[in-house]
Amino acid sequence: MKAMHTTRFTLSLVVATILMIASGAVSTVSPHFYRDDPIAREPESQNASSAAPSDIGQMYEMVYNLLVRPGYKPSDLRAQNVNTVDEVPDSSWFTNRVGARRLTIDEVVRGPVAGAPPDPSRWVIFREKTSGVHPGVTARDAKGDTWFLEFDPVFYPEAATGAVLMATRFFWALGYNQVESFLTTFDPKRVEFDPKATLRRPSGKRTPFTHDDLNAILEKVARRPDGTYRVVAGRLLPGKVLGNFRYEGTRPDDPNDVVPHERRRELRALRVFGAWLNLTDLKSANTLDTLVEENGRSYVKHWLQDVGSTFGMCNDLYEWDLSWEHFYQTGTSMKRLASFGFALSPWQTVNYVERPSIGKFEGERFDPRAWRPQTPTTAYMELRDDDGFWAAQRVAAFSDEMIRAIIHTGEFTDAQAEKELGDIVIQRRDKIRRTYLPAVNPIVAPRLDAGGRLTFENAAVDADVARSPRTYRASWFEFDNATGSTRALSTTTSATTTMNAPAGLPGTAGGFVAVDISTEDSEYQPWRKPVRAYFRRDPNEWKLVGFERIPDIR
Amino acid sequence: MRGIGRLAVITIVTLVAGTATAALAQTPEPDTREAAVEQAQTEKAKSLHPYVASRAERLITEVENALVNQTTRWHPYFENAYSGGGFALGAGYLQHVSPYNVVDLRGSYSASQYKLAEAEFSAPRLFHRRGELSLIGGWRDVTGVGFYGFGSQTSLSNRANFAFEQPYGGGRLTFWPTRRLFMMRGGMDIARWSLTEPTGRAPSVQTVYTPATLPGLGAVTTYRHTEATVGFDSRVSPAYARRGGFYGVTGHDYTDHDSRFGFRQVDYEAIQHIPILRESWVISLRGIASTTWHKDGQVVPLFALPSLGGGSNLRGFSSWRFRDQHSLLLQAEWRIMVNRFFDTALFYDAGKVAARREDLDFNGLRNDYGFGARFHTPFATVFRFDVARSREGTRYVFATSPVF
Repeated sequence: MKAMHTTRFTLSLVVATILMIASGAVSTVSPHFYRDDPIAREPESQNASSAAPSDIGQMYEMVYNLLVRPGYKPSDLRAQNVNTVDEVPDSSWFTNRVGARRLTIDEVVRGPVAGAPPDPSRWVIFREKTSGVHPGVTARDAKGDTWFLEFDPVFYPEAATGAVLMATRFFWALGYNQVESFLTTFDPKRVEFDPKATLRRPSGKRTPFTHDDLNAILEKVARRPDGTYRVVAGRLLPGKVLGNFRYEGTRPDDPNDVVPHERRRELRALRVFGAWLNLTDLKSANTLDTLVEENGRSYVKHWLQDVGSTFGMCNDLYEWDLSWEHFYQTGTSMKRLASFGFALSPWQTVNYVERPSIGKFEGERFDPRAWRPQTPTTAYMELRDDDGFWAAQRVAAFSDEMIRAIIHTGEFTDAQAEKELGDIVIQRRDKIRRTYLPAVNPIVAPRLDAGGRLTFENAAVDADVARSPRTYRASWFEFDNATGSTRALSTTTSATTTMNAPAGLPGTAGGFVAVDISTEDSEYQPWRKPVRAYFRRDPNEWKLVGFERIPDIR
Repeated sequence: MRGIGRLAVITIVTLVAGTATAALAQTPEPDTREAAVEQAQTEKAKSLHPYVASRAERLITEVENALVNQTTRWHPYFENAYSGGGFALGAGYLQHVSPYNVVDLRGSYSASQYKLAEAEFSAPRLFHRRGELSLIGGWRDVTGVGFYGFGSQTSLSNRANFAFEQPYGGGRLTFWPTRRLFMMRGGMDIARWSLTEPTGRAPSVQTVYTPATLPGLGAVTTYRHTEATVGFDSRVSPAYARRGGFYGVTGHDYTDHDSRFGFRQVDYEAIQHIPILRESWVISLRGIASTTWHKDGQVVPLFALPSLGGGSNLRGFSSWRFRDQHSLLLQAEWRIMVNRFFDTALFYDAGKVAARREDLDFNGLRNDYGFGARFHTPFATVFRFDVARSREGTRYVFATSPVF
């Protein structure tokens, strides 16, 4: 009996081995660079119509992010959705705008707005507001379009609505899908209630929405002297609502979602963009996935749905610690506990100049790396310096003029406040640049012309946040695209960002060279670690097909 | 059998590996990046499934639904039948009878065998959100309440116990004319006090005192109690506040059905929270004075006398430690924010009881000091633990409400 078992076992092993060898025999090795690299758009090839709504429990997310997530050890893995030149291609998550192309002032001021504004001559309320912390309602305007109306709290009579208007434009320019938002008017005398309008009560039942319910909302919000209310109207997003996206893993019901969200660079970069504009409420509940149809195919579109917790806007006038601490930090708690509160945190002494249009937002003591959202996310914790560099380049691409033009869309009545808000945003932008641009080797935009002259730029030096190194060094390699192997050619140096390639570069189309570019005598240690650029010889030119700032494995 | 099992496992592993490899081998090798990504998406499309929440996520979401959406009507209940009963454990059942109005049936049993059963109807949204009504009725059995004699200079060793059973019922209406700051409250209740034989190591008051030396002893008293409060309340919530204050006066009338123990009482209360360093520290102060007037020919019985001692006033002394016709309590806390959910506090309490109103001064105050820890939400204290030290020893307070 035992012998029979042994025979079966051996036979099975033999069969398995033969199958493995056979299958291995037909496999081939993928090239390092494909002919369409670098891709400009992440394909979404599959029909996602089977994706179904699913939500995240807010309490679960908070508990998880505050108590479990801090123990998370970042993978230190490179973002996975970048193309071969280390850029984020367009996708259902992200569209390259600022920093990738020249945006006009008109474009950034228009932002996500594509349609006409609401007609506030009549509002028909049919539901409560379903997201966001500031009071609001869901209503149809005189044209019958659906809008989410959000009011200003009494203590910030212009700031909350202004924050939504400004933030949607900033985040749109940064590349995120944003809600179309307009500043408009809500006149209680021109309000009707849809006969089917209901409100969820403490009993759990929905009962008709009444005037008293509306009054309960209006009592808590800022009213204009003429009895009307300043509101921001967000247009209903297109498509079927699928619930919030998560900052880790993938949607198991979306075939096109193959990159774990914590490895998406644009989600990691929210740590930098969030710090700049003070997007403290980074939780999943402020995001949204919708199923949209285009050319007869359905795909999931991902939105940063609510970016109103920016520019110092918070749930309560007395929330001083926002942006300085997570809701809970063990180390900070222990320090306060042991010192009876004498171990002061910056938020206890930072100087805010609060105005009706500016919340708790300042630039003097702002430290981009010390900035904290209410709760961390996995993508937030996965940010590497190359992600931070990528994000900082985009922040740096906002000119003073663009920033002030966007701030102006907040339509603040206090011109001085508008100026101060712009000053703070510019000051924080500059701190982002100083923090993240020199933190890695800042070589960008390498080009190799047909005559063999290499040029590149130094983003940190160009942004005036670092001194130019005395010497740049380039190590040249012949690169085998099939095997990934390299053969050293030569090393060249230059005091400028231009240098000649050595003799002996492949001259035939389809040949590849790799160049490692570093600095020899910079005061910035990370600059001595080379970036690598890959060029492919096309018939008449060298084309940049690859760029690695911090590769996973060299 | 084991051999067949092993064979099956190996075969399955081989087939899966073989199938997968074969599938990859049959799929044409992508010649573009786009095709490579599409291949990964095609592979994923073969195994789509809805999101499956982890066990922890399901559990916490159920808790959230129970707390926020009130999908679960059963709730724990930790309130004691009467102060001094020790740790109490109980349960309640909430039933909404309209969109906002709710009936709560609840009961508890304490370490000192105090028993409570009561029902409360709450209407929190009357008069266009200006009024709150609470109707409550119940029964409690309190098995051992300490009595140490009159005044502030009594000795611990003089403790005697009394016990009582009490059915009660009444209502209280709170009205906020401007929906905030200024408040008025009125209420009426009827309660019957039936003194019973106490349990515990201390002797019964009936063996130490006589009805002549301790008014109310041996009596069954039915009170009709009416009260009225006017106050100014700028706190975010009475159950947890880091700023604002409360200033109020409450008048009581206790009418004894048998005209033996009728009296009137006035309570003056002032609370102020003074935030420092953006509310990371709060100096919280409270003063409360109670004075009584007996009605003609009547006296205030032992169980209705103003008193001090216990987890919400003189925390370093046992519950009901000091009793007399009038009382004065002064409390100060230095509250320290550790994080958004947790505070600690250093506190000092002082107070006295007196037979004469003019003796309510700062001489001869009994005092204690201590350290506290409190878990809270923005609007409510979830759990409070205080350690208080007085010359009568160290006492530990566990509570689900703020001290003030």
